[in-house]
Amino acid sequence: MQQIATLLFVLCAGMGLSVEAGLLGPLGEQVGHLSATLSIFLVGGLLLTLAMVFIGRPPLTTLFQQPRWLLTGGLLGPIYVVVLTLTTPLVGVGMTMVGILCGQIGASLIIDHFGLLGSERRAIDGYRLLALALIFLALWLIY
Amino acid sequence: MILTLVFPLLLLGGAVLAAQSSINGRLGAKVGVLASAWLTFVIGAVVTFLLAFFFEPAHSATLFSVPKWQLTGALFGVVYMLAIVFAVPRVGTAAATVAVISGQLIMSLLVDHFGWLDNDRLPLDPSRLAAMALLAGALLLIYQSNARRERQTASA
Repeated sequence: MQQIATLLFVLCAGMGLSVEAGLLGPLGEQVGHLSATLSIFLVGGLLLTLAMVFIGRPPLTTLFQQPRWLLTGGLLGPIYVVVLTLTTPLVGVGMTMVGILCGQIGASLIIDHFGLLGSERRAIDGYRLLALALIFLALWLIY
Repeated sequence: MILTLVFPLLLLGGAVLAAQSSINGRLGAKVGVLASAWLTFVIGAVVTFLLAFFFEPAHSATLFSVPKWQLTGALFGVVYMLAIVFAVPRVGTAAATVAVISGQLIMSLLVDHFGWLDNDRLPLDPSRLAAMALLAGALLLIYQSNARRERQTASA
């Protein structure tokens, strides 16, 4: 039950992400894609900084005691943006999205299967393979 | 030809997103959801600032001259990051990823259908409705996979 609620919450967050993309595309055309992305990280970072100061006790000491690779999440988002910026003019938006989604879903199944990056192991089974097939079918129907 | 060169790059672009969810989820489980999301945004801002500062070609408009509503995307980005950091340790990277993608695709179909955000109207046709059903089905299957695994761990 709690799993379903969590998944629905994430689904709604994904819907928000589409709105973000809808705002970001036209903004990128006007001011440049790197600047548009900067606006997201900058405004988000500043808002979260305020939240950190006023909500709870910022766990800054424990944060920087973690192994350094655990702190690299912020380096990966910009890689995605650079890839998008480079490839969209070459192969178009549709193909770009399909390629990104394939990489994202494939990698997430592999990370779970082998328990990579410190995550719990969740082996690939029939259900997961079937889910993958349904997603590809859906992508094919949309594009 | 160009697609064979570009496709591995696209797969990499998608793979880093999955890796980011996983790393942030792990960090969030240790130091809290807020701190993990905060660090991601701050590091992201630093890196994109450097990239934009040195590599962005000049444009006629700047972030300070565009209408302010165009800058509100970050609000959605923050909610997304908090949701991911919260969800990954609880449901796993794949379930969280599939839920996000389903939400994205369903919303983009709705945006097209109603022509929200100044987009052209692209009505839902049967194949797009079928795609939405398939995405819901995929999410259900991953949930089933998790539920079965939990039953097994419980009985083991």
